[in-house]
Amino acid sequence: MGASDYDVIVIGAGPGGYVAAIRAAQLGFRTAVVERAHLGGICLNWGCIPTKALLRSAEIVHLVGEGESFGVRAGKPEIDVAAMVARSRAVSRELNAGVGFLLKKNGVDVIWGEAKLRGRGEIDVAAPRDTGRPNPEPPKDARGPGRYTASHIIIATGARPRALPGLEPDGERIWTYFEAMLPPSLPRSLLIAGSGAIGIEFASFYRALGCEVTVVELLEQILPVEDAEIAALARKAFEKEDIRIITGAKVASVERGKDSITADVVTSDGKSEKIAAERMISAVGVVGNTDGLGLDALGVKLDRGLIVTDGLGRTSVAGIYAIGDVAGAPMLAHKAEHEGVACVEAIKGLDVHALDKLRIPGCTYSRPQIASVGLTEQRAKEAGREIRVGRFPFRANGKALALGERDGLVKTIFDAKTGELIGAHMIGAEVTELIQGFVIAMQLEATEEDLMRTVFPHPTLSEMMGESALSAWGLAIHIPPAGKASG
Amino acid sequence: MSANVAAAERIRISPLARRLAHEAGLALEALSGTGPHGRIIKRDIEAAIANGGANRAAAPQASHREVATAPPPPAAALSDDKILALYDKGSYELVPHDKMRRIIAERLTVAKQTIPHYYLSMDCRIDELLRARGRMNAASPAEGPRAYKLSVNDFIIKAMALALQEVPAANATWTEAGMLQHKYSDVGVAVAIDGGLFTPVIHHAEMKSLSEISNEMRDLADRARKRRLAPHEYQGGTTSISNLGMYGIKSFDAVINPPHATILAVGAAEKRPVVVGETLEAATVMSVTLSCDHRVVDGATGAALLGAFRAFIEDPVRMLV
Repeated sequence: MGASDYDVIVIGAGPGGYVAAIRAAQLGFRTAVVERAHLGGICLNWGCIPTKALLRSAEIVHLVGEGESFGVRAGKPEIDVAAMVARSRAVSRELNAGVGFLLKKNGVDVIWGEAKLRGRGEIDVAAPRDTGRPNPEPPKDARGPGRYTASHIIIATGARPRALPGLEPDGERIWTYFEAMLPPSLPRSLLIAGSGAIGIEFASFYRALGCEVTVVELLEQILPVEDAEIAALARKAFEKEDIRIITGAKVASVERGKDSITADVVTSDGKSEKIAAERMISAVGVVGNTDGLGLDALGVKLDRGLIVTDGLGRTSVAGIYAIGDVAGAPMLAHKAEHEGVACVEAIKGLDVHALDKLRIPGCTYSRPQIASVGLTEQRAKEAGREIRVGRFPFRANGKALALGERDGLVKTIFDAKTGELIGAHMIGAEVTELIQGFVIAMQLEATEEDLMRTVFPHPTLSEMMGESALSAWGLAIHIPPAGKASG
Repeated sequence: MSANVAAAERIRISPLARRLAHEAGLALEALSGTGPHGRIIKRDIEAAIANGGANRAAAPQASHREVATAPPPPAAALSDDKILALYDKGSYELVPHDKMRRIIAERLTVAKQTIPHYYLSMDCRIDELLRARGRMNAASPAEGPRAYKLSVNDFIIKAMALALQEVPAANATWTEAGMLQHKYSDVGVAVAIDGGLFTPVIHHAEMKSLSEISNEMRDLADRARKRRLAPHEYQGGTTSISNLGMYGIKSFDAVINPPHATILAVGAAEKRPVVVGETLEAATVMSVTLSCDHRVVDGATGAALLGAFRAFIEDPVRMLV
């Protein structure tokens, strides 16, 4: 294959694709990445990053509103949605430019356009379609449409919002996250279908700004992948903020009015309720971007719209790889990044192993935050594991009280016999930053003893992590013996 | 040949893997790790258990991060591919290396490549020693904690320990910072085990009685064969002894175990004609060869050490004072 243009071509410059491309370049591969809309992908332009910028605004609204309890009188905060959106776009733009810079400095070529596999080792790139969204300019020295060859082609095309029949987003009254991130003005009321991380984050954001928010979830539990105890605490916290939550229910149909919608929400026991709202956000999951890539013709095996891989990105066709969302759950940027690195290292022949999905953390940046890694209590029990469960509440932690963040819980799940940390589930302030401690512990295969002997600085929220491990063996210092945390 | 296996080589293992290995009764030395830098992790223990404790090693692997940062292989004369090409497929079985085999290969290659070895040989008459040993063993209680059964090797350990005290310049280790002059005689003794060897160390052997050395050695050798030694029991040491006399080997040269400066290779004791004065006598003679690290022990010092050793071995009563 010495005549190929590249050793590695990555299709899609999202967090999986651009990281894979940089790692490939580090390993000495001649590398290119094909992108049709924006370097950094959804994550950086329409997902993780801009929503975090918006949620930061919501947090500040909350803090200003609470000012008086901290001895600061600042009056009622005035909300400027346009400025919030502008700030969030600026953050994305800066990072987008940063990705371009990193690719350039690593000698990775950017090819601008839509890729289609022609055969093994060969792609055609066409001019990009107009997405109708305000996307950043392509890098100046990007290569254009044409035919390109490479020994290895990595598909990292990601996923897009799922559209349910009858609830198809129209961009005006029914939004996906794209529109929800760019509200021209603040809707008075909002119906959100789906209570995964995306639905819940938007619920939290819009509620903080004063919208009337209703969340409809098909399952009986919001945040369905989270531990049931944590999800119940989250629900309680959201309901305290007057977010209306209807579980075990679905949006059966929507009537689109001139500047509003009326949804028919049907619960599992057959009860129906009409809910009117100015806007609706459809956050009912995502589907893989596999269309138009020419996968069928090549015989690349799919399963329910996602590319089947062996854990190191290899598909059913030699020389074609897939990573990130398009290669299956969990659809998270950090999972995509690591899959990309593992895929490229395996191509290089380095000794790598597939990601252990039980060591991939998940974070929801609502207020309160939720973060977790590993097995939930229920799944550990279903797996027949004999477990010990540790719980430590925020209200028993000095730093939490000093911050005025007394609601929250750090829950840990250990294998009773070996002391292996098999799950950690947290809710409360800054838990999305705390979870990495447990992830490192899992990665290094720490046991309960290691966590108990780890010196956490005082006063910090992290002290709760050690205490939670202690409490799994009834040894917590700052809660009474057999104390039950209620959050 | 002898290798102070795993000495100085800390076993890299995760806390969880250590616990799982302990519960499964697996010897850590026999496991090979597939984690970063060869760290033994949970999946290695699970694999070892699944293999019925066969402890199969993983294929040689590149460093996780960069191939370039992997240490160069010890100057292999031929690549694997070239070696395999010399034999017909099906004419051999490729047995993966376990961790112990790799450590032996690595350490002894380093020893031969970095230590300037030279060798001194001597014959020792041990008729006196055998007589003393017979009398001492006859005096042992039949059983109980004070019972003992001395072997010739126990005398050799003790003699070497005392000789190092008489010639302290040879009881040393080369370091770049300076010469490590050891105060005690910590004598490692090579013990062959299935698939390799251990060199458990008798610490402070110069201060211990023959029966103490004997009983301690029996315990260490026994546990070495079961791979139940704790790292501190086979790490360190200031010299070592490798005895192949029981296999009928007359004499041989041993490879020094870093960080030692000497190793004594002991051959079989046998009846040989010796010239005493002007007449020929039958005597029990044992040939020994001392390997010396020339950076530490010069020829005269090595000769003095071996001379001191022979003086103790040939007149064992001197060991009792």
